[in-house]
Amino acid sequence: MKKQNGAAKRKVLKKSVSPPAKVVIRKIPTGVRGLDDILGGGIPEFSFNIIAGTPGCGKTTLAHQIIFANATAQKPALYFTVLGEPAIKMLRYQQQYSFFDESRLGKAIRFINLADVVLEQDLNAVFNEITKQVTAISPGFVVVDSFRTVVRKAMSLASEIEMQSFIQRLAQFLASWEATTFLVGEYVPEEVRDNPVFTIADGLFWLSQVVERNSVVRKLQIMKVRGQESVPGLHTIRITDGGLQAFSRTLGLVGKKINPVRRRRRLSVGIPELDKMMGGGILEGDSLLVAGPSGTGKSALATQFIAEGLRHGEPAIMAIFEERPKGYTERAVSFGLNLKTPQEKGKLEVLYLRPLDLSVDETMQEILDAIIRVGAKRLVIDSLVGFEMALAPNFRADFRESLYRMIGALTGAGVTILSTVEVEDTFTALSFSHYTISFLTDDIIRLRYVEIDGQLRKVMVVIKMRGGNHSKDIREYVITNKGVVVISPRSTDYSGLTTGIPQRTGPRQAQKEEAAPEPKAKK
Amino acid sequence: MSQATSQMRDFAERLIAYEARENKSSGTKPAAAFPVCEKLRPHLVTLMGNTGFRALLLRALARAEADVPSLRAMQVKADGSLAGLDKLEVQADSEELAKGSVVLVAQLLGLLVAFIGETLMLRIVCDVWPKLALNDLKFFKNDKT
Repeated sequence: MKKQNGAAKRKVLKKSVSPPAKVVIRKIPTGVRGLDDILGGGIPEFSFNIIAGTPGCGKTTLAHQIIFANATAQKPALYFTVLGEPAIKMLRYQQQYSFFDESRLGKAIRFINLADVVLEQDLNAVFNEITKQVTAISPGFVVVDSFRTVVRKAMSLASEIEMQSFIQRLAQFLASWEATTFLVGEYVPEEVRDNPVFTIADGLFWLSQVVERNSVVRKLQIMKVRGQESVPGLHTIRITDGGLQAFSRTLGLVGKKINPVRRRRRLSVGIPELDKMMGGGILEGDSLLVAGPSGTGKSALATQFIAEGLRHGEPAIMAIFEERPKGYTERAVSFGLNLKTPQEKGKLEVLYLRPLDLSVDETMQEILDAIIRVGAKRLVIDSLVGFEMALAPNFRADFRESLYRMIGALTGAGVTILSTVEVEDTFTALSFSHYTISFLTDDIIRLRYVEIDGQLRKVMVVIKMRGGNHSKDIREYVITNKGVVVISPRSTDYSGLTTGIPQRTGPRQAQKEEAAPEPKAKK
Repeated sequence: MSQATSQMRDFAERLIAYEARENKSSGTKPAAAFPVCEKLRPHLVTLMGNTGFRALLLRALARAEADVPSLRAMQVKADGSLAGLDKLEVQADSEELAKGSVVLVAQLLGLLVAFIGETLMLRIVCDVWPKLALNDLKFFKNDKT
């Protein structure tokens, strides 16, 4: 009994003692689109950070963007310039960016030139000057640009231990004064191991330029951020009039809560016979690949898929890489489909993505942004080959990996995707594409040419439907002024249709003379 | 192209007159015709360092000398302050002295506009002379002199 009481007491005691509250580290937004996601929420408050990289990577612009996004008269930013770019030049160039707000200069953002102190005096004097200014102003943010020049000058006079001591004192002082600090410097990756500044830093932002053939791409790596989980790896950054924009290699989709579609409907692709072949239509949230050679009607089928969705009130995005939007809209008109009105009403966006040196993550981001903008339920990517060709050469290796991530995330969120891919008809085999695409797609439709009775006709077959049964029939179709129309039931008079050169197995039917060519869509 | 446009000269003239009044009201004798440059100096040194400010003032002086040759008596010291005023006062009459100071200030402000733009130049001027009333100044519009 006594024993029982003791155990009960211990239990009560255990319940009443709550674990000590953890410190909550506020995460400061960077003001750089995409970067907060990569950092795991933002920059830890009062952290001591390094923005490193080779010249021209955007280090100074990044520092400016962060302070313009955060500095206020109550929590100002002190921007110490040293021997790199003087403040007057910084102001000249940085004011070209849209984030630059000159009304913030003076009260919220103050530039102080440390060049004379660095040139004429020692590390102690530099430290004293920084502490003097910080003590006087109590800034929320401190930037030293370029810190490398402070160190370079001092290294010739001071020992390594003195240097480490200087950095340690500086880091401790600035953190104690509740300042979030950024030391900007030109470093090379080999220095990371031996330079004490990297050991002391809480956060390390590494910017670089990757050159392949004629294209150059800027990359960002968060090599270190204490206390929070950042997205590892190299992320693309682009510098535009708006400053830096970062494109997470996980497209910001990792860790985000996705509401999966509970009960998936069958969606019509706008071609009744094809819906039947697919077991009632494409399953909502599926990724469908339409593979076929040039001229087999892949884009026509994609347009019908989108138009059908719009008819049922499902907004859509068409990301096209080979054809201009005008041509797309005009072809739809020739099929009796109106893409113009939904575009005007914001229910459809046709994205024409063909700039050179495009990164895969940027393109994906554009598509994702558009999907969110219109609340899209259907997405067409026409075509995967065009998409890949629009990318800078050094991104092509990442293409499938990024595409996989995007398709996985979007279909998981209930967006139904139709991608097209051009494949060559070999007349000996039925290839689906030169990609390994099975991991990208739930469903595959193959279009191909076959030679029958002295004509080059078109047939389609549903190769795969992950979500259920489907017709195994090979069906002939034509492209009329209604778009892709499946015209014939399966033919039992031929074998080897998938090779493109079938053998007749049944009796030859009486042939109608075809006076005019197959009725194609109006131009 | 000269940075001392007629509007910039007008502005410089107003600034010099304002500074002279301020100096009088504080009971100090205007030490020279160029207190405006001297008052701008610490603000610009904070931004650019001594070397940067000295280089800018040297350039402004060189440009101003083309209009007012007697300004050649002036030098810019290592810390960015002006020297040679005594010599200039001997060589130039009061009219030329006044013109020289206007042109030098106009050139200096004009260089700032060329580098950082009109808005930021005016912001610096406002920081130095917070009570100075600035009219709607457009230094480069409708002015091709």
